[in-house]
Amino acid sequence: MAPRAGWRSTGWQGWILVLLWLGHGLWVLTGRWPSLGLVKALAVVSGPVLKISAKWETRGEARRQIIQNLASAEQENAQLKTKVGVYELQEAREGPRRAEAEEAIRLLGLKRQLPLETLAARVIANTRTAPFGGLVLDQGSDLGLQPDQGVIAPEGVVGRIWSVGSRQASVLPLDAYNASTGVMLARSRATGVLQGTGPGKAEIRYISSQEGVQVGEAVYTSGLDRVFPRGLLVGFVSQVRPRDTELKVEVALSAPLDRLHLLLVLPAKPPIEVSPPSTPPVGAGKGLQ
Amino acid sequence: MSVRNAPASIRSSLVCFAALLGIFVTAPWPPLQSVFHVALVLGFAPLESVPLVAGLWAVAAGWVAEVTLRMVPHPGGAAWVDLTLTLTVLFFNRFWPPDRRLIWWGRLAGFTLLHSLLLYLSMALASGSHPAGRGWLWALLTSPFWAMLAWRVKPAAHPR
Repeated sequence: MAPRAGWRSTGWQGWILVLLWLGHGLWVLTGRWPSLGLVKALAVVSGPVLKISAKWETRGEARRQIIQNLASAEQENAQLKTKVGVYELQEAREGPRRAEAEEAIRLLGLKRQLPLETLAARVIANTRTAPFGGLVLDQGSDLGLQPDQGVIAPEGVVGRIWSVGSRQASVLPLDAYNASTGVMLARSRATGVLQGTGPGKAEIRYISSQEGVQVGEAVYTSGLDRVFPRGLLVGFVSQVRPRDTELKVEVALSAPLDRLHLLLVLPAKPPIEVSPPSTPPVGAGKGLQ
Repeated sequence: MSVRNAPASIRSSLVCFAALLGIFVTAPWPPLQSVFHVALVLGFAPLESVPLVAGLWAVAAGWVAEVTLRMVPHPGGAAWVDLTLTLTVLFFNRFWPPDRRLIWWGRLAGFTLLHSLLLYLSMALASGSHPAGRGWLWALLTSPFWAMLAWRVKPAAHPR
């Protein structure tokens, strides 16, 4: 076989390669102990690479942690959204019931404060916007209701029973044009007749122009009409104007006639004077019992 | 003079240098480093016309790969295997030069598996038991790429 060019032409290179191979083999076979010093030196050499690697790994780990936190937050957010949706639905279902319960609690407190045999009734229709309209109650003559019984709410006087059916009764509210109620002013104690003038408003007649009436003054029932006892809140004076020999006193009614649900019906021909208890009844306001 | 028109020895040296640099730079990513390592030892270093130069590239590849990140207790095993396999591939290329790319690639793929096996044994012999990663798999999967690159870089015909 002829000598190959570049392979045998430089024999000394071959010997170097053989020595290199044998040296490495010997180095490997001698084991790890003789090279500890070299390892230390190599550790110094490889320091920069190790630093870069450590930095890279740290950044990677931080990024992984951020992604994990984000995923966790998104999952928690989705769960919270679901919970909020459930609570909102529950709130929408429970809202009207809760409002009615709160109204019932306030009505019970009022009932306990009045030393009268009152009867609770629910408003089943409100036709105040119609001509000669009023409120329709779910109680009638079967429970002993009769015309001209006073009807009140926790906020104030509502009106009187106008007509009674066997199971229903209609209420003439204070703001009806044909409604008249005996009232008195809180400060001057002047008495007059309250007549309805429109939605939520009424006017006191027969107040002498000599009386000093102030805007904001409270108006109470006088008891003289024998429908309401004395001292029930009717509303507040909203405007005072002189008119001939008497004052034109406009009153903003305190009872929210548009949004009444539960009412108290007073007994027929109650006494003029009733003395409410000096201390609130025990348990009032804690709920229906 | 562009690299493409440069003599074969300069081209192969440039490619070997680039691969050696790649071994150093990719030390934080062992699978990627394995690709550069195997490509240099089996693909590019045997292209050198001078066997001593090819052996030195292989030894350098082994030492750089072993000391950059893998702090083994007794380095040197990789360089030994690299030197052995580079000379073996060089021998095969000289005396049985492949005339088709498929044979070239198949031979290098086989040497890749042999290299990974010998590398594990040599390092185990020098440093004791150590975890073997999946670098051999990456090198094998990328062998079509670097083998074909070596095919383009290699001289048209080796003198026999």
